Amino acid sequence: MNIDSIVKGIENGDHLSISRAISLVETNCVNDNVREIISRIYHLTGNAHVIGITGPPGIGKSTLIGRLSGMLHDSGKKVSILAIDASSPFSGGSFLGNRIRMQEALSSRGIFMRSLANRGISGGISRSAWDVVKILDAAGSDVVIVETVGAGQADLEVRNLVDTVIVVLGPGLGDEIQAVKAGIMEIGDIFIVNKIDREGAFLAIKDIEDTLAMSPGKKWHIPVLGLNSLNGEGYQDLLKVLDQRWDYISGDPGFKDGRLLMELRAIVQNTLLSRVEESFAGKNAFSRTISGLSDKTTDPYSAADRIIGKIYLKGD
Amino acid sequence: MSEERFSEAGKNLSLFKEKPAKVLLAKPGIDGHDRGILVLARAFRDAGMEVIYAGLLPTPEQVVDTAINEDVDVIALSLLNGAHMTVFKKVADLVKEKGITDISLVGGGTIPEQDKPALEKMGISGNYGPGTPMKTIIDHVMKRAAEARQKKMSGLH
Amino acid sequence: MSGKSHSFWEEKLKEYKRLLERENPEYGEWRSGTLSPWQKNKPASGNFENSSGISIKEVYNGSDLPDGYEKKYLGMPGEYPFTRGVYPDMYRGRKWTMRMFSGFGTPEDTNKRLKYLIKHGESGLSIAFDMPTLYGYDCDSQRAEGEVGKCGVNVTSLKDMEVIFKGIDLGSVSTSMTINAPAAVLTAMYIAVAKKQGVPMSKLSGTVQADILKEYIAQKEWIYPPEAHLRLIRDMMVYCTENIPRWNYISISGYHIREAGSSAAQELAFTLADGFYYIDLGIKAGLNVDDFAPRLSFFFNSSINFFEEIAKMRAARRIWATVLREKYGAKKPRTMLLRFHTQTSGYTLTWQQPLNNIIRTTIEAMAAVLGGTQSLHTNSYDEAWALPSEQAVKIALRTQQIIAEETGIPDTADPLGGSYYVEWLTTKLEEEAYRYFDQIEKMGGILEAVKKGYIQKEIASTSYRRQMRLESGEEVMVGVNRYQEKEDAPIDILRISQKAQERQVLRNSKVKSERNEKAVINSLNELEEAMRNEKLNTMPYILKAVENYATLEEISNVGRKVFGSWKEPVIV
Ligand SMILES: Nc1nc2c(ncn2[C@@H]2O[C@H](COP(=O)(O)OP(=O)(O)OP(=O)(O)O)[C@@H](O)[C@H]2O)c(=O)[nH]1
Ligand SMILES: [Mg+2]
Repeated sequence: MNIDSIVKGIENGDHLSISRAISLVETNCVNDNVREIISRIYHLTGNAHVIGITGPPGIGKSTLIGRLSGMLHDSGKKVSILAIDASSPFSGGSFLGNRIRMQEALSSRGIFMRSLANRGISGGISRSAWDVVKILDAAGSDVVIVETVGAGQADLEVRNLVDTVIVVLGPGLGDEIQAVKAGIMEIGDIFIVNKIDREGAFLAIKDIEDTLAMSPGKKWHIPVLGLNSLNGEGYQDLLKVLDQRWDYISGDPGFKDGRLLMELRAIVQNTLLSRVEESFAGKNAFSRTISGLSDKTTDPYSAADRIIGKIYLKGD
Repeated sequence: MSEERFSEAGKNLSLFKEKPAKVLLAKPGIDGHDRGILVLARAFRDAGMEVIYAGLLPTPEQVVDTAINEDVDVIALSLLNGAHMTVFKKVADLVKEKGITDISLVGGGTIPEQDKPALEKMGISGNYGPGTPMKTIIDHVMKRAAEARQKKMSGLH
Repeated sequence: MSGKSHSFWEEKLKEYKRLLERENPEYGEWRSGTLSPWQKNKPASGNFENSSGISIKEVYNGSDLPDGYEKKYLGMPGEYPFTRGVYPDMYRGRKWTMRMFSGFGTPEDTNKRLKYLIKHGESGLSIAFDMPTLYGYDCDSQRAEGEVGKCGVNVTSLKDMEVIFKGIDLGSVSTSMTINAPAAVLTAMYIAVAKKQGVPMSKLSGTVQADILKEYIAQKEWIYPPEAHLRLIRDMMVYCTENIPRWNYISISGYHIREAGSSAAQELAFTLADGFYYIDLGIKAGLNVDDFAPRLSFFFNSSINFFEEIAKMRAARRIWATVLREKYGAKKPRTMLLRFHTQTSGYTLTWQQPLNNIIRTTIEAMAAVLGGTQSLHTNSYDEAWALPSEQAVKIALRTQQIIAEETGIPDTADPLGGSYYVEWLTTKLEEEAYRYFDQIEKMGGILEAVKKGYIQKEIASTSYRRQMRLESGEEVMVGVNRYQEKEDAPIDILRISQKAQERQVLRNSKVKSERNEKAVINSLNELEEAMRNEKLNTMPYILKAVENYATLEEISNVGRKVFGSWKEPVIV
């Protein structure tokens, strides 16, 4: 499969092409393929409602996504899913376990779903997630759902990736909920208490509502919903809220500007960082400058300025 | 260690430089004995691979669907109930039907000697029986993954 | 469970910790005075740890056992806490039952086989089912392709059961059916056949496995989520307690837990934890523990670490009796008896140098007998790669006969009772079990632990560790990682001809064309309502659907609709 056919395939929503494109952007270094694909599909992006789902491990995120995506699909929307799993810090290997929970809902409907290992990047989200979302968006998705490893503070980053953050919590988390809350209360646009079939669901909803009431009011009123993801209870409300959210987003032309800026900043940051790494790699890096420093013909600040100039200019 | 071996086996993987081999482990067919496949899953992960375990009782369609969505390098199939000639074949046929040439198929389980040539012909290699040293299996999967990567790459231009 | 039971496990764990934490001055002196000088020139080599990760000392002595051990923890055979055996005379009165179980393709084949066995004096029939039946699929389901009649008989509708038992008086035999998820349906079919024969339910006798918890833990043959199956099992328990006094409705199985890679301690702990759950289930359903607990029996694995296995079986008896009496307030001694079937380990068999398997099986069978089993299945030496040949099955049976009639092993009850090592190990394994019970309780009970994947993960970790030890040679399997010879895997699988499936499909479509469709639909609808109403007992509704020739899959689909299907938690 070459880049041309991949790009054409994405336009047509072909799973093989989407999947291969993701493989190509799924590295932590930006290479020519990534640039070419993104530049050729970028004009197709911006139409999908990108929804991030986050919350503590085992709370039911994947189960929820399976059910939600099935319902969205059945209502005529095209849905794609990206699930981010943790990598093992030791071997670099990982289990991509989210798929099992959704498999049934996906396969029968032909919903595209991709797992991504967050290769050692703490914070839950791989750099490449941005590009993957663009590919799924460009492929004609109405909704792109992103599941992230919900580890409190760590996944604040998801805020920059998606239009809507759904924070999933559950009953009976007790002290845990306090710790989790500290990290993710600020980022949620919608709160869900999943597993309402269990004891303590009502209290959990109340608790979240109380906490939300303490923060200053925003234009978007943050709803708190109870769900049972095993039998679908509460899902109609969730669909309704998502529609409202989409209307809200569509009514605000500047909505995505902040995120675009964040992404741009991240790209510049990453690019510079990797150029720094590159230029300092190698045994004899900057040997002339180093001898200049030991000869005292220059000083560290002036030397750094010169190098920074070079790094900025390189490539373009 | 294994990652080194991996890049050695398929030189010039710069495009996928930082990507470990991605393997789908599946036990299609109705049979819940998963001791072996769970051990494999851990061993693969500890060898640095990205492992997707298809869970119990996936259909061949689900297996291939997953392989496409995840763009794995290898589909590793295991069956202990003797249905490999029907089930493995179904997977291989589906892969072919979808026009996929750059995902490798590896088999294992209780597979009699006389079935192996036919499986090889379908592109399913390995076909290791119980008691095969883990290293043998891992090396083979790594090798087949590298082959798949090589094909994926050379198709790009 | 209540707050009181919570502390029960903690107390027990404390008690056992105390029992095992003992000063042992003789051992200390012996080590420094005799052993160490001896070992100076030849240090011990090897790994002295059993499957449960318990490290074994060089020697055990009287100080390893608590004071008053014999009186309080050992007792005599047939007496509480039954450590030394459930019957006073053990094998002197009656040998264990040599139960060799196997499966045969079509109902016709099975019928022929059963009749042959009856003619040769067997009255205990044993039936294995094929995968589609075990998973609640019909012979013509897409999922059944290539599986019909393999590893057991296929049952799609009552018609198949009628064929299986044609010409066999269900009033005079006892039938054991290895069936779990669809146990209620198969039980109903058995009752329906009996009714047609004019045999009243009160005269039926038999066993179904119906241990659904171990399915989620190990064998993974389920249809619905756990709560749904447990509800159906509850219904079956209540129905059978009232109507079929000689129906053993749950055989609580550690065998599969062990085969899934667990240690002996895990097998012990998880199996008994399952058992306690069923006791809770019965009590919650309003049954009296002394009325239904005697219907529960156990099924253990006998693996290759000889003393560990014996200790495990002795520990199981002692735990069950103690907990039934102390926690559940059982009054009748019969209620406290842990009776069990044993099968030798399939996991330890190798395809390499297969005749070695005869030796392994012999040792494992001896452990089962020394552990006081009530019945025993010995594996055939070729089972690692094939469906057993007749000759191999015969050797397996002869193994039991030699132990029973030549060795003198059964002459006295619990011959290893009083061995310092065996008694210590029995107590130690009990402690391990109580530790798990306590932990499981703290997680919210066995059902929660299973739903979270905790139990499965514990087993997978043990199994992985063992595999790594085998790979590194720390653990030895003769012919596999030591003393190997060059040989090719002789794998030979049973190829059931497509004919079995074709014949089943044909019969099924005939059944479907002849049955009263309206009655089928009505009874399925009624069953659906019953399933939705927690307060109703589903058994009579299942029986009615079965009698109208609704198929296994049709009945299972009602459940699938009401309860949904089950995806296990991620356990890798
Ligand atoms: N009782 C109940 N259980 C649920 C519900 N939703 C999910 N579960 C169960 O919760 C467990 C975990 O579900 P997952 O969907 O894997 O949770 P997750 O948040 O994606 O987990 P990670 O990806 O591992 O962080 C599974 O056993 C589900 O069946 C619910 O509404 N009620
Ligand atoms: Mg998940």
